[in-house]
Amino acid sequence: MFVIKTVPPSSTQTFADDMPATHRKHQIEIDAMQVDEDEYGAGPSKRTIVTPGEIITSSKEYMRGHGTYVEEVNVVSSVTGTIERVNKLISVKPVRSKYTPEVGDLVIGRIVEVGPQRWRVDANGRQDAVLMLSSVNLPGGVQRRKIESDALKMREFLAEGDLLVAEVQAFFGDGAMSLHTRSLKYGKLRNGQLLTVPPQLIRRLKSHFHHIPPPCGPSGVDIILGLNGFIWVSSGTSQEKREGGEGFDSEGVYSDKNDDITPEGRQAISSVANLIKVLADQGIPLTDTLIEEASNWMNQNQLPIGPLVKNDEQRLLAEVVGVDVTE
Amino acid sequence: MVREIDPPTIQKDFLLAALAEGKRLDGRIPLEQRKVEYIFGEELGTVECRLGKTAVLAQVSASIVKPRDDRPYEGFLLINSEIGPMASSVYESGRSSDSEILITRLLEKSIRRTEAIDREALCILAGEKVWQLRLTLHFLSDSGNLLDCASMASMAALRHFRKPEVEVIGDEVIIHSPEERAPVPLAIHHTPLCLTFAYFENLPPILDPTHLETTLCSGTLTVTMNAQREICVLSKAGGTPLAAEEIMGVVTVGVERVREMVKGIEEALDTDKEGRVVEVR
Amino acid sequence: MSSSRLEILNDGGLRHDARRPYELRSTSFELSTHPSAEGSSTVTQGLTTVQVSIFGPREPRQRSNASHDRAILSVEVGVVPWAQGAGGKRVRGDKRLQEIGASIRQTFEPVIMTHLYPRSEIAIDVQVLSADGGILPTSINAVTLALISAGISLLDYVTSISIGLHLTQPLLDLSQPEESDLPNMVVASLPTSGKITLAQMETRLHVDRFEEMLNLGVEACKVLKNEMELVVKDKTRKIVDRMEIKSGAAMIVDE
Repeated sequence: MFVIKTVPPSSTQTFADDMPATHRKHQIEIDAMQVDEDEYGAGPSKRTIVTPGEIITSSKEYMRGHGTYVEEVNVVSSVTGTIERVNKLISVKPVRSKYTPEVGDLVIGRIVEVGPQRWRVDANGRQDAVLMLSSVNLPGGVQRRKIESDALKMREFLAEGDLLVAEVQAFFGDGAMSLHTRSLKYGKLRNGQLLTVPPQLIRRLKSHFHHIPPPCGPSGVDIILGLNGFIWVSSGTSQEKREGGEGFDSEGVYSDKNDDITPEGRQAISSVANLIKVLADQGIPLTDTLIEEASNWMNQNQLPIGPLVKNDEQRLLAEVVGVDVTE
Repeated sequence: MVREIDPPTIQKDFLLAALAEGKRLDGRIPLEQRKVEYIFGEELGTVECRLGKTAVLAQVSASIVKPRDDRPYEGFLLINSEIGPMASSVYESGRSSDSEILITRLLEKSIRRTEAIDREALCILAGEKVWQLRLTLHFLSDSGNLLDCASMASMAALRHFRKPEVEVIGDEVIIHSPEERAPVPLAIHHTPLCLTFAYFENLPPILDPTHLETTLCSGTLTVTMNAQREICVLSKAGGTPLAAEEIMGVVTVGVERVREMVKGIEEALDTDKEGRVVEVR
Repeated sequence: MSSSRLEILNDGGLRHDARRPYELRSTSFELSTHPSAEGSSTVTQGLTTVQVSIFGPREPRQRSNASHDRAILSVEVGVVPWAQGAGGKRVRGDKRLQEIGASIRQTFEPVIMTHLYPRSEIAIDVQVLSADGGILPTSINAVTLALISAGISLLDYVTSISIGLHLTQPLLDLSQPEESDLPNMVVASLPTSGKITLAQMETRLHVDRFEEMLNLGVEACKVLKNEMELVVKDKTRKIVDRMEIKSGAAMIVDE
C-alpha cells in the first residue's frame, strides 16, 4: 500500500547499546521457533526471549502459566523474559519484576505503620506486608504469653522506620504477605547498613545468613540476603554471641543502640557493601560464595579503602566473576 | 474526585445482557439519542439544553476590550466551564478530576479551536477595540454525557446571542442600545457538535450513554463534527482498543446524526424567534 | 496557523527537515535509565525526549483509592522548564498536561493486566526533557518500554505516532512547526492486532481523509514496535546472560 521508511540504523539511530548484527539473528531464531520437545530444554545461553504480545505457541496442548495469557487458540507472552516449560505448563519468567513472595522466604523490611495488634511492613512487595503481634518473639523468652500491655507497648519493640528481618509465614486473602519473626535469627536489625538490589539477583539459597570471617574487619562481617532485594550488611558477631550461644543477649533483641564498632569494622562493612553494589550494578546474581570470594580478592589485593575505582572494578569482575566489562 | 460506589453486579449484568440483545435500560436502541430540549431564556444568548435528565445552561455575554498586540484584528471567545457539585456529588468545586478535564478540554477544542466563531468579525476598531465573548456554562445536572449536552447548549447559545450594533465614525465608536437599533447575530462559520459513543466489550457501540452506562463501559469515543461532513475533534483516550473500521463506522453514523442535531437547533431557534420581538420598530 | 512562511513540502517532496513524507525522525529507545525505579526508559524522537519511570506495583499512596480486584494507575506528567528552549513558548497551563496524563492512564488501563496486581498502585511518572512536537506519542512509546522493563504484564506493546496532512499528502511523525501548521492527529495502537486504543484529533478534517490517515498511523505503529522489540530483546539477552553466571560452589536451591 505504501512505504514507511525509518532512518537507517547506521547513521542516526543511537540505540542504547550496539545493536543490529547479532540481534537480527535472534529474530530469525524466533521466527523459526516451533514448539518442539527439545526447544525449551535447550542450554541456558540459548533460552528463547519473548516480549509482550508475542505468540509462544499456537497449540492447544499446552497450559498457560505465569507471564502468559490465552488469546483465541494462542498462548501469548505478557512480559519480557525467558520461556520456561514444565511438562505441559508454559510460563514466561520476566527478567525484571517486583519481588514475588513465597512462603518461607527470608525478607528484610521496614516498619511503616504501627496498627492494632500488627505492624505494616514495607518489604518491597506489591502491597505492604503485615507482621502480627502474635508472630513476634518478645523479650523474656519464646514461651512468654502476650498480654494486653504488650499491645500498648508495640512501638517500644518496633517503631516506624525500624528495619527487621523476617520470614514469610502465609498470605492473606488479598495477596498481602504475613511475616513472622519467631526465631532468634529474626528480628530488629542494627549495627550495619541496608542495600537495595533488584530482587532477581538473589536466589533461594540454603541459608541467607552469611558470615565473612576476619581478616574482613576485626570481627568479620555479617550479610543477610533478603529475597526481596534488601541486603543487610553488618558488623560480624562472634560465635558465642549468636543465638543459642553462651553470650547471646536475648534482652537486647529490640535495642535501638548500635554496639561500638571500631573504625576498621566500619571500613569492612562499607567495603563489602561496595562490592555488592558493584556486582549488582552489573546484574550478576549474588550468592554468599561470590561475595566471600570477592571480599577475599579485595583483601589479597590490598585495595585502598573507599569505593572501588573503575579499574579495580573491572579487575574484580574479570578475576572473580569472569565478566569482561571493559568495552 | 470522590470515588463513586460501583454499581451492583446484578445491575451491571442486567445492563450488559440487555445490550447484548440490542436493548437499553431506558428503552432506546443503541444509536439513539435521548430527547433533546432547548429552553431559551429571556435574554438573548441564554439557553438551557436538556438531554434526558442531563441539563446544561449556557450563557453568552459580550464586552469590549483591547485586542492582543500580535492579533489586532481578532476578538476573543472565552469559555468558562467549571463543573461544580451542583451537577453531581462526585464533582468538587475547586479541584478538577480527570473526567472533568477531558470534558472542559474537549469543549474548548470543539468550540474555540475549530473556529466556529469568526473572531475577525468581532473586531470593531483594529488594534483598539474588539468584542470579547464570554461563554459561561452551568452544569445543572449530570445524568451522563455532559459533554454532548454542553456542546449543544453552547452552540445554541452562540447562535441565539445578538451583540449590540456598533457604528464607527473615524476613531469614535458608538454602541447602539437594543432599543435604538436591532442587535446583530454573531458570524458563525459552522456548528460543531459533540457526539459521545460508549463501548462495551464485544458489543456494538451505543450513542449518548447515560451515567450508568458511562460507569460500566469499557471506553468512550467522542467525535465533534459539523454538517459539512468535517471531523473537527476526535478523541478516543484509551479504553477498549478498536479496529480502524469500527472507528470509521462511528464517524459515518456521526455524519448523519450531526446533521439532524443542527437541524434540531435551527428549528428550536426559529420557534423561539417567532415568539420574540428582536427587531425594533 | 502561525508561521505560514514554513514550507511544509518543497518541490523535491522533502519536508522542512529534509525528511520524506513517511519518514520518521531519528529515534532512540533506551531501557532502565532510572537507577531506582522498578522500570524506566528514555525515548527520543527527533528533538523530543521523554523519560518515564515506573514505580510499583506498590502499596497505594492513598489507600482509599485502592481497588480490591485490580491495580490502579496514577500518571504524573511534567515538562522541565528548559524543554522548549529559551525562546520557545510555554506549555499552555496545567490542563494540557493533565489531559495528557489522563490519556496515558486511559490508554494503558486496558493494556496492563491490572487484575494480576490487586490492591496495589502502579505509578507512572512522565518527564518531558525536550519538546519538539509529539509529546503525547513519544510519552506513550516511552511508557510502553518502561512498563516492559518493570516486568509488568501487558497484553501487547502500545506504540503511538502523530500524522499530519498537507493538502492531500499525509506526513508522519510531525515536528513542532509542522504540528502547529497542519491538521494532525495522534494514533496509538496495539501493533499485533492493529487495533486503535487512542485516537486524538484537534483540527478540522474531512471525513474521507481521516480514514487514510488512521490506517497510515496503524501501519507506522507496527514499524515502531519492531524497532522497540529489537532493543528490548537485545537488552534482555544481556540481562539473561548475566543471570546465567554461576559462581563457584554456590548452592542454588531453586531451578
